[in-house]
Formats: sequence, structure tokens, C-alpha cells
Amino acid sequence: MDPMVFLLDTLVFVGIFMILTLSLNLEYGFTGLGNFGKVAFFMVGAYIYAITIQFGLPFYISLVLGAVVAAILGALVSLPALRLREDYLAITTIAFGEIVRIIFKAEQAIAGGVWGIAVPSIFQDLNLSIRMSVIVNLLLIYCMVAVIFIILQMLTNSPYGRVLRSIREDDEAVAALGKNVIYYKVQVFMIGSAIAGIAGGLYAQYLRFIEPNMFLPLVTFFVWIMLILGGTGNNKGALVGALLIEFISRGSRIAKDYVALPVDPHNVQFVLFGILIIILIMYWPNGLLREKQIQTVPERRIAHGDSVSK
Amino acid sequence: MEILSVNNIKKHFGGLEVLKGTTMDVKKGTMVGLVGPNGSGKTTLLKIIFSMLKADAGNIYFKGQDITRLPPHRIYQQGLSFAFQLPRLFFRLPVMDNLILAGREQLGESLGGTLFLRPAWRRQEAQLAEKAWQLLDFLEMSSLARHMAGELSGGQRKLVEIGRALMADPAMMLLDEPAAGVNPVLGKKIYQKLRTLTGQGMTFLVVEHKLDMLLGFADWVYMIDNGKIMLSGTPREVIESPEFYTTYVGEKKDAAS
Repeated sequence: MDPMVFLLDTLVFVGIFMILTLSLNLEYGFTGLGNFGKVAFFMVGAYIYAITIQFGLPFYISLVLGAVVAAILGALVSLPALRLREDYLAITTIAFGEIVRIIFKAEQAIAGGVWGIAVPSIFQDLNLSIRMSVIVNLLLIYCMVAVIFIILQMLTNSPYGRVLRSIREDDEAVAALGKNVIYYKVQVFMIGSAIAGIAGGLYAQYLRFIEPNMFLPLVTFFVWIMLILGGTGNNKGALVGALLIEFISRGSRIAKDYVALPVDPHNVQFVLFGILIIILIMYWPNGLLREKQIQTVPERRIAHGDSVSK
Repeated sequence: MEILSVNNIKKHFGGLEVLKGTTMDVKKGTMVGLVGPNGSGKTTLLKIIFSMLKADAGNIYFKGQDITRLPPHRIYQQGLSFAFQLPRLFFRLPVMDNLILAGREQLGESLGGTLFLRPAWRRQEAQLAEKAWQLLDFLEMSSLARHMAGELSGGQRKLVEIGRALMADPAMMLLDEPAAGVNPVLGKKIYQKLRTLTGQGMTFLVVEHKLDMLLGFADWVYMIDNGKIMLSGTPREVIESPEFYTTYVGEKKDAAS
């Protein structure tokens, strides 16, 4: 494989995981909702994109459809679970992730079951070289990363973000201050799921083929590792975490070609990630980048008394 | 005019009957105390009024409207706020944010508002911040505004908890032992401040363990014992009544002994 394409391909995956990690950061990092079924919404986005694009819909419509369906499913899953304690949300979402995968695996008429489904590329008419087509996808994906990042920064660095952060700290006290906590939680879950759905659509469009085994629970845990490494409650941290973990993971795949090692690190990468997580939680629980405070309040007070006397 | 009416509230936890048909009224612009020994149902009643616990029977009217079945956030929006006995601050948020959060009807708290009404909510934010500064000045905590709430001492947390309940200019406030855990001088100061607010039409229902704290501040006192209102009157009347003495201090000693 062309090393340049390998690098570009890695960067595409980094971008996709950046979107997923940003969405988990909104849910867990800011609002404290432990979503362990991230892959399900990613998968729904990918499949809805793959199915609807067959009908010749414009690519952005398919992408939005994937996001909308993921958001609706997010609401349906979270509504019953959010009324219970946090741990039930984790259990519900992890089960939901598996259920969705098994449904897509068993179903054959629409999405091809275990054989998967081919997705026409939106750039196929341009007759691009492999390298160019990866570059075009890269641009598309990083534009989406930028848009999502800016929206999430606006959401979290605002009174809305303040409500989310306080829900994370003590949701009963937030309710006693006049905020409809369930409404916020469902809304956050829907936004997070929609973003994961967009990541899924971009993933399907880039790979041009998807099948159920691409969406193992492992994907969810990768996203979690990225978030914890980067730093919960910091959107930049989510980007850094996604970049580092994807590079480590890809690096382990090619390391044996460059260094003489007793074992192929690719085969033990999950052991390595497990150790990494333990070390992180023990010694660096806040991740690489710490949470930033909301900066919408004027830095200094309006000193009425002072300004008059001067 | 009654701002709050509690009508025949009953509540049991398992086999324990905590409230056995409690009825009380609170007039607008007054400070009303609720006293009683440990386990008499004071805090339970307060939590039922604010819908943090559900009553088995009975009704609660606030400003003439039945609020018995409303969730806490709706009750807050109607103008009733609650200060917890044990402060429940947001530890990883600065004191300033803890206060601003309590502001009512913030434009920037809805999804659309955050994204599209940025200039409007920034103005609102500056007003809320100014108000928070004034409250912090009163509580003598301005220097701690940028500190995380989790770094504060127990007494300071208590003050922020009370300040937070005042942020929304509520029509009425429920306070669960506002002076507990702060030094006695500041405790009195809190009561004095609340007392001046009654002049502006604000109403307070205060759970207080020590009745003498309410002397000179409360207009009316209800004494609750065994889930029933045993006594009511001005603080002076209650403190001088023999029933109060029996419940609080125990059997009245024989004059001769």
C-alpha cells in the first residue's frame, strides 16, 4: 500500500473518531450521561446513509436522514432510561448497541445482512486517483469536524452549557433551580446521537462498503479511551484524544515492519489499551487537557461606585 | 392574603406515619417559622411543598394555584425557591456560575437561544453577574467568586446555597435551617437580611430548630410534633406556652423540687 495513502487513510479515521469523541464528550464530559452504545448510533447513521443513497438522494440529504433517525432512536432509548439512575443508562445503551447490530446482521432484504451493503461514492464521476479520492474525503470530513466542533463550543460555553455541567454535578439540585432536567438530558442524547449518525454517514461514504461486524462494541470503547485520554469536558481534548489513540492503533499495525519486536504489537494492542486506561485513571484522571470554565460572564464586575468617583 | 396553603397533608415512610394531616397557611410578606423536635416532620413537610417528596394525601396551594402535582422545576418557575439544609452546590463550577445558574427565564438556556440569541443572552448574563456580585457582597464572599464551590468551607457553602435561592427574586422561599453551620453573628445577619426582604413583599417559610433564633424575626410560628401542628402563634406566645416547654424540654419540673 502506498504509505501516503496509509497516512491519509489514518487521518480520515482520526476525523471520524474525532466526531464520535466530540459527541460522547457532550453526553458524558459535560452532562455526565454514560452512553456505552455509541456504536449503535454510528451504525444507524452509516446504514441509513447507505440505504437512502441507493435511491439517488443527494449526499447531504442522506447524511441528515442518518442523523435524524439516530437522534430519534437516541430519544427512544434514553427516555425510559434517563428517569432511572445513571448506571441503568449504561446498561440500556450497551444492550441497544448489540441489538441494533444483530438486527442488521439478521436482516437481508434491505441492507444485505452479514454480506453488508455497497455504497456508491459521491465522487465516483470525478475519476479520481486513489490518493486524490482519499484527499477529497479528508477535506469533507474535516469540514464536518470543524462545523461540529464550533457548534459544540458554542453550546458548551454558554448558559446552556452551564445547565449541562450542573446536571453532571447534581441533577436534583438543578431541578430545584427551575430547570427541566429530563428535557435537557434527552436533548443532549439526541444531539449526541445525531452527531454520531453524521460520523456514520461519512464513514459509509468513505469506505463504500459497510457490514455489521464493523460495528462491534469495541468501537464504543475506543471512543471512550479517546475521551478519557484527551480529557472529559474539553472539546479540544476530545480531538487530541482521537488523534493520539488512532495513531497508536495504526502505528501498532505497521510497527513490525520497522522495528524488530518479539510480538506483533497489533495483536496485543487491546492489552496495551487496557493498561493505558488503568494508568490514565490512576494517575491522570482528568486527561491531557483540563476542563475550561464557562467564559461568558464579564471578567471583572461593573464597578459602579469606583467609576463614578474617578 | 395567603400565598401558601398546606391542606391536610399526610405522608408515611413504610410503617412510620410522619405527617398526619398537617394544615397551615402562610401570609404574603411575612416570615413564618416551623419549629419542632427532631423527627417531627419539618423537613419532610418542606420537601413535600416543593414536590421533592410526594404526599400520600392532601393539597398545596401556592398563589391560589394547586401545585401538589407539579414537578420541582415548575414550582420554581412559579416563584417558589428552596434552600437545602445541607448545601447542594455544583462543586466543579465556580461560585459565580453556581449563582447565575439560579436565574429564571434565561434566554441562553434553550438550545435555539444559545446559538441564535447570543447578544441578548450575553446582556442578560452581565445583569445576572451583577446581581450575583451584590449577593456575594452581602454574604461577604466576593473574593471567592471565581473559586470552585467544592473548595469552600461548610459555612461558606451554606451561604452560597441561600444566595442561590435568592437569585431568582422568588415570591416565596423555603429555608431549611438557614443559620445552621454558620457563625451566630452571620446567622443573625442572614435573618436580618431576610427580614428586610419581607418589607418588599417576599415571604419566607423557615424550618428552624432553635426557636429563639426566630424571636424578633418571625411573624408567626407553627410548632409541629408527631406529624401534627400542635401550636401556632407569635414566637413569644409559642415560647411561653406550657405545651412548647413539654415538647422541647421534657416534663415540666415540679415547682417545689
